[in-house]
Amino acid sequence: MPAPTPPALEVRGLSKRYDDGTVALESFDLSVPDGSFLGLLGPNGAGKTTLISAVCNLIRITAGEVLVFGEPSHSMAARRWVGLAEQDVNLDRFLTVEETLLYHGGYFGMAKAEARKRAAEMIDAFDLRAKGRVRTPKLSGGMRRRLLLARALMHRPRLVILDEPTAGVDFELRVELWRYIRRLHEEGTTIVLTTHYLEEAEALCDEIALIHGGRLHARDTAEGLRERYEAHTLADVYVKALGSPAPEAPAPAAA
Amino acid sequence: MSGARGLGWLARREVLRIYKTWTQTVLAPVVSSILFILVFGLSLGSRIREVAGFPYEVYIVPGLIAMAMVQAAYNNNSSSIFQARYDRFVHDVLSAPMRPWQMNLGFNVGGMVRALAIGLALLALAMPITGIGVAHPFALLLAVALGLVLFSAIGIVIGIFAETFDHSTFFVNIVVLPLAFLGGVFYSVGQLPSPWHELSLVNPVFYLVDSIRYGFLGASDVSPWLSLSVVAALAVPAYAWSQWLFTSGRRLKA
Repeated sequence: MPAPTPPALEVRGLSKRYDDGTVALESFDLSVPDGSFLGLLGPNGAGKTTLISAVCNLIRITAGEVLVFGEPSHSMAARRWVGLAEQDVNLDRFLTVEETLLYHGGYFGMAKAEARKRAAEMIDAFDLRAKGRVRTPKLSGGMRRRLLLARALMHRPRLVILDEPTAGVDFELRVELWRYIRRLHEEGTTIVLTTHYLEEAEALCDEIALIHGGRLHARDTAEGLRERYEAHTLADVYVKALGSPAPEAPAPAAA
Repeated sequence: MSGARGLGWLARREVLRIYKTWTQTVLAPVVSSILFILVFGLSLGSRIREVAGFPYEVYIVPGLIAMAMVQAAYNNNSSSIFQARYDRFVHDVLSAPMRPWQMNLGFNVGGMVRALAIGLALLALAMPITGIGVAHPFALLLAVALGLVLFSAIGIVIGIFAETFDHSTFFVNIVVLPLAFLGGVFYSVGQLPSPWHELSLVNPVFYLVDSIRYGFLGASDVSPWLSLSVVAALAVPAYAWSQWLFTSGRRLKA
């Protein structure tokens, strides 16, 4: 009998106390099956970004264990398997769009020829052709968001973590990014998405996890959560489960 | 293999950053150092008798090259890592499949390359102007290598600890430059009366300048082996410190 596939992400007893004493996560457990699409919902300060940072080796964890496809998250293999698009635009100001992708591929172990080919694919896929030789500070907000997503996918990660990828983008670009993300999931990539937009989580994710105060409060499909909390909408679930007002929906696109 | 590739790309990125801003990173320090040679060496040189058996304009060249190189190594790395932290694109490196020693080395390379580019350019200009040569190439290479490791690593450490850009410029203006000027760049500390002579001997930059001067001229105020040992004794812990910051994640990771 073949060995069962390890979860794409397994978090066991994860705690993080920052130097100022803030406890962002406490004994946090989470398992994300390979190929799934999990949405993380919660108010600001709930621990979502801390969780993501722990998976991507961007914080020093206080206690616990993080495994990516069965490997410790700090291992070389696990690092290669994870792609991260952060909430903040954190592009290298000295690089052009093409160089951003090339160098990211290089950091993640791609050979030059392979990185060039993949960068061209990403530039085409994210409609960045006209901006290939433009340095990142000169890009518009929407272009920067596209580039962040393209960079996260550059090294063909098996687990993609998207931290509020559509925050502050207009309706057209949000729909476009949703299309990219859906296609990525259909191709078998595991996706963990944090968002403040409830309709985004419902539209994209197989399952939704509600996080508050560094703890997991509930996890189910959108339908399952509505049944469990006897709510009509995900916003009602959010209020009942987390006891805080649901985040506001994004402004509608201009006519 | 992927870690080695990552190191190569990171080092390349640091060099690309220098290349893209070469007027600021290479040309400006070369011009200012050459002006020092022209103004201090050629104009004052005619009024100053030989120092340690060398014409003044020749005597000051090794110290000026040393000063330009250590400043470049420090400035480059402190500003590069500070910007990477400030704009948070350092996350792209910290999350990559690279070992901490590969990240540390990759960031250190930039300062070393920039300093070498400046040093070679200055030498190429100073040779025809002053007629300076290289008396002990091996000693010179060793002194330059140790000095660059020392100041590149200090640049990384300060760039990681700096909260603002002022913090990183503070160190070079308040510590490195005064120590360089008081470290025998323009004079032989052997000419100084007591206690200035003794005080000069506790200035670490003096040993770097003196060892580089020995490499160029074959003359030094103290034994070149003592100078090289002092610089090595400082370079090793400085590099170990920057390595520890990458290994532990202190100040780089919350």
